[in-house]
Amino acid sequence: MDASEVEFLAEKEMVTVIPNFSLDKVYLIGGDLGPFNPGLPVQVPLWMAINLKQRQKCRIVPPEWMDVEKLEQIRDTERREETFTPMPNPHYMELTKLLLNHASDNIPKADEIRTLVKDTWDTRIAKLRLSADSFVREQEAHAKLDNLTLMEINTISTFFTESLNHMYKLRTSLQTPEDGQTQEY
Amino acid sequence: MEDDLALSDEASDAGSEEVLTPAELINKLEEAWLNEKFAPELLESKSEIVECVMEQLNHMEQNLQRARQGDLKISFHHMEIERIRFMLSSYLRSRLHKIEKFFPHVLEKEKARGEGEPPHLSPEEFAFAKEYMANTEALLKNVGLRHMPPNLQTLDLIKCVPKPNLDSFVFLRVKEEQQSILVEPETDAQSEYAIDMEVGSQHLIRYRTIAPLVASGAVKLI
Repeated sequence: MDASEVEFLAEKEMVTVIPNFSLDKVYLIGGDLGPFNPGLPVQVPLWMAINLKQRQKCRIVPPEWMDVEKLEQIRDTERREETFTPMPNPHYMELTKLLLNHASDNIPKADEIRTLVKDTWDTRIAKLRLSADSFVREQEAHAKLDNLTLMEINTISTFFTESLNHMYKLRTSLQTPEDGQTQEY
Repeated sequence: MEDDLALSDEASDAGSEEVLTPAELINKLEEAWLNEKFAPELLESKSEIVECVMEQLNHMEQNLQRARQGDLKISFHHMEIERIRFMLSSYLRSRLHKIEKFFPHVLEKEKARGEGEPPHLSPEEFAFAKEYMANTEALLKNVGLRHMPPNLQTLDLIKCVPKPNLDSFVFLRVKEEQQSILVEPETDAQSEYAIDMEVGSQHLIRYRTIAPLVASGAVKLI
């Protein structure tokens, strides 16, 4: 899957915006939104929030976890623990990227937040590489991946599954040469 | 104001016809889309979902044509329609891609299907697969095979075209709790063991082991 498709999925996450216009309830196929009143916070999906922001029709309220203190804590736990710690949002990376790119003026300390999230991400990806390495070395047949987010899985999945398939093919053709052919691609 | 009423009425009408609400329908489509994207083989055709989504989209588009242009609300609806249409076409495209890649096996599986079982292909996809097979065969015959010695002119596409690799690894998230799933060992030195899958947990495992769970909707691929 392409990273942009993961971003597409992340755009479904709900965020709070403060509109500067008024509009009655909107009945979308995916559910009702609104009503919109100037100055009153309302929940909308991220794709709509970004569109409204681009047209300068709203102010985006950053999610609760997008806060320097909370992110520092998350980063520190992530560095301390050996396993993956739960993230504040299943799409934390995409949300951070999209919100900081499109609405950095609505987010206090945007630069610090960007660095903190990147640090957390880097720590997690390093762990992911380590565990992928041991998965291959131990020749495991199953792994549990709790607390990993879709974007993280997606960064390694294509490469990783392809290499596992190749190794499997090599191994099975070693063990039973006749069966090897049925696995040919 | 009249636009509002029209839109809301029709949306809820369409919803009550089906057991699902439109929002649930879209979620179903999203799941079918992701499963299809990640599964190595062609999954069961979800033509019912596709039809319902198309109906919803057409409904909404008709309403929008009647509505006043340039309204903020109209642009919301247009954006949503585009997003849903993207998912729908990506879903159908990944199915066509698999049909092109595995056509003899797809047709073979469809032929072997029993009376009561649900079809793996929609009628349109079935027609496409048959035509694709006929065209490939004709092409190979015209370009190469007829110039070969007679004893080499037979063509068995089932043997020529690679099978879907069911042993490939997939990532999945559990929707309904599963107990004692047997994991086959990777090497002869290891022994088989069983795992339990809790709701919401994520796993990396061979597709073959959990293929029935994907079909029943107990797990979803990610």
